[in-house]
Amino acid sequence: MNLFSYAARNLRRSGQRTCIMIGAMGFAGAIMIFYAALLEGFIMTTEKNAIGMETGQVQIHVHTYLDDPDIYSQITSQDEAMAKLNRLGYHSAPRLFAFGLAAAGSSSSGVMLRGVDTEREPLVTGIHQHVKSGNWLDRNDPTGVVIGQKLARIIGVGLGDEIVIVGQAADGSMANDLYRVRGIMKSVGEGIDRAGFFMIQETFRSLFLLDEGCHEIVVVPSKNTTKSLDEMTAEIRAAIPQYEVKNWRQLRPVLARIIDMTSASLVVMLIVTYAAVGILTLNGMLMNVFERIREFGIIKALGMPPWKIFTIISLEAIMQVSIASILALFLAIPLSLYCEIHPLNLSSLAPDSATIAGIAFDPLWYCDLTSNSILLPLFFMFLFTVLAILYPALKASLIQPLKAIYHR
Amino acid sequence: MNRKSIVELNQICKIYQQGKLQVTAVDCLSLQIAQGEFSALYGPSGSGKTTVLNMIGALDEPSSGDVIIEGKTLAGMDRTALSRLRRDRIGFVFQAYNLVPVLTAYENAEFVLALQGVPIRERRQRVMSILEEVGLADLADRRPDELSGGQQQRVAIARAIAPEPAIILADEPTANVDSATANGLLDLMENLNSNKGVTFLFSTHDQRVMDRARRLIELKDGKIASDGVSP
Ligand SMILES: Nc1ncnc2c1ncn2[C@@H]1O[C@H](COP(=O)(O)OP(=O)(O)OP(=O)(O)O)[C@@H](O)[C@H]1O
Ligand SMILES: [Mg+2]
Repeated sequence: MNLFSYAARNLRRSGQRTCIMIGAMGFAGAIMIFYAALLEGFIMTTEKNAIGMETGQVQIHVHTYLDDPDIYSQITSQDEAMAKLNRLGYHSAPRLFAFGLAAAGSSSSGVMLRGVDTEREPLVTGIHQHVKSGNWLDRNDPTGVVIGQKLARIIGVGLGDEIVIVGQAADGSMANDLYRVRGIMKSVGEGIDRAGFFMIQETFRSLFLLDEGCHEIVVVPSKNTTKSLDEMTAEIRAAIPQYEVKNWRQLRPVLARIIDMTSASLVVMLIVTYAAVGILTLNGMLMNVFERIREFGIIKALGMPPWKIFTIISLEAIMQVSIASILALFLAIPLSLYCEIHPLNLSSLAPDSATIAGIAFDPLWYCDLTSNSILLPLFFMFLFTVLAILYPALKASLIQPLKAIYHR
Repeated sequence: MNRKSIVELNQICKIYQQGKLQVTAVDCLSLQIAQGEFSALYGPSGSGKTTVLNMIGALDEPSSGDVIIEGKTLAGMDRTALSRLRRDRIGFVFQAYNLVPVLTAYENAEFVLALQGVPIRERRQRVMSILEEVGLADLADRRPDELSGGQQQRVAIARAIAPEPAIILADEPTANVDSATANGLLDLMENLNSNKGVTFLFSTHDQRVMDRARRLIELKDGKIASDGVSP
């Protein structure tokens, strides 16, 4: 008779309760793994939208630009800077910005005109693949523009429609010209959705009479890197000291906080859920111990040392939580993997895509089953089980045999 | 010539505090049990029989006085030492529900030997021969709930004698079984006593036990009222 089989037989003896406990723990574990995978998916999608479509990892501006985005606040030596970045292992792309008024028919709206380097931009963002209808910019179509989906609705234009742009050129003269919509974007974020107006760089330069320079350089590592965001920022800052270098966490603090809080909310949910399951476990283990109190008294009277009784009860709990973990994995992994391919569709709740605080949230909610989303829920399940059995196990192992034998 | 003394109680008292009331369960009692005895404590309910057995068995300590087992005074021994002493030198047979429900008769019988760390081969030999002796060799693989009350008590006796303890303490071992079974159990214990020299101390109300016991110690209000070799 070893302790292991003793514990296993005790679990089988109270079979129904054991099944209920394992079922409850396993089900809670499965839900938490699925939930964690959903949160990881949410973070991944949000990052992909915000960083992968728009912000990039790091951006470079002249020092005054972010506070006062002026058409004259230009990075003049952009080719030199981008060459340096290339040597350090980064992709980069220049961007040009200007405010203007877009008019079509009797409607008009303020827009942020964006001059895109069609060769370099695809190296740093995936925005060229994020067109809802029509096509992305093409250098062979200098008057073709791509606009945000809300802007298209506001001024009432569709593919092929014409838009007049009015703005102020660099020399102070009036800049205006006629363009044709060749593409409408999917949701990227409030800024682009409402006011995004993309044109190829050459068209932008001729409209605003800007021969050289750019307003922003977007930087991403050219291959997978182990460097942290802060390390990358510091490296780029050291290489290009004359300009302001900021990473996406500094540029989009709200987004950074939402992502951080989402991760933290997982831990909160884990604690709340498992605290409830832990009380169930505690209750089950207490019933288990009190039912067998006479048995513990007798085996202690016969000379069983306390640590062995503690071990028996711990083994019983560990066996249950182990089986529950396997159950949780069996339930949660297929479900999460399914939702990696077939996302939860929230578009009936939030038509199109919703933006909150200027950040676009994809209505298609994908799972991302990371090792974290599996291990964290299981770790917390073990932790809470250990906490829940501590009292019953100590109680049973430290009880005086006489009290236990004559326990009524 | 005196036989070796197994148990020696010197002026032991046990006083329970029940609220404001003090209950004297055992009152300045002195007693000696020698090797090979087959003795019974008897007396009215509440006279202190169980309390005396528990103090001899190192499950309870006296409020005053000395309990000496095989020459060793229990007072001052720590928990671990007392637990060892119970494991190695004392056999217990309780009134009922003695056995571990999830273990088979065989496993229950070998329980103490396993705790002692007796090698598995030797254990198997000893336990099988003892089960043979108590008449349960065929039922070794049964769980307690598949055994009758008398068979369960036989397993408990087997478990108690397996480690060859100095004394077996049996608190009303026949209280929960019918007459025929009680006689069977008494036959068994008598045989173990006369053939193997196992020392027994009972507590009992049962006339059948008193008829068989060779020494009868009568308790009244925690004191010895009479002590004598039975006729
Ligand atoms: N844990 C306890 N707390 C308080 N009083 C107790 C306790 N255990 C026993 N007593 C008291 O001590 C006295 C002796 O009890 P004990 O159980 O030894 O009697 P007994 O002779 O075994 O009785 P019975 O024949 O009914 O088993 C009784 O008056 C009982 O009420
Ligand atoms: Mg009693």
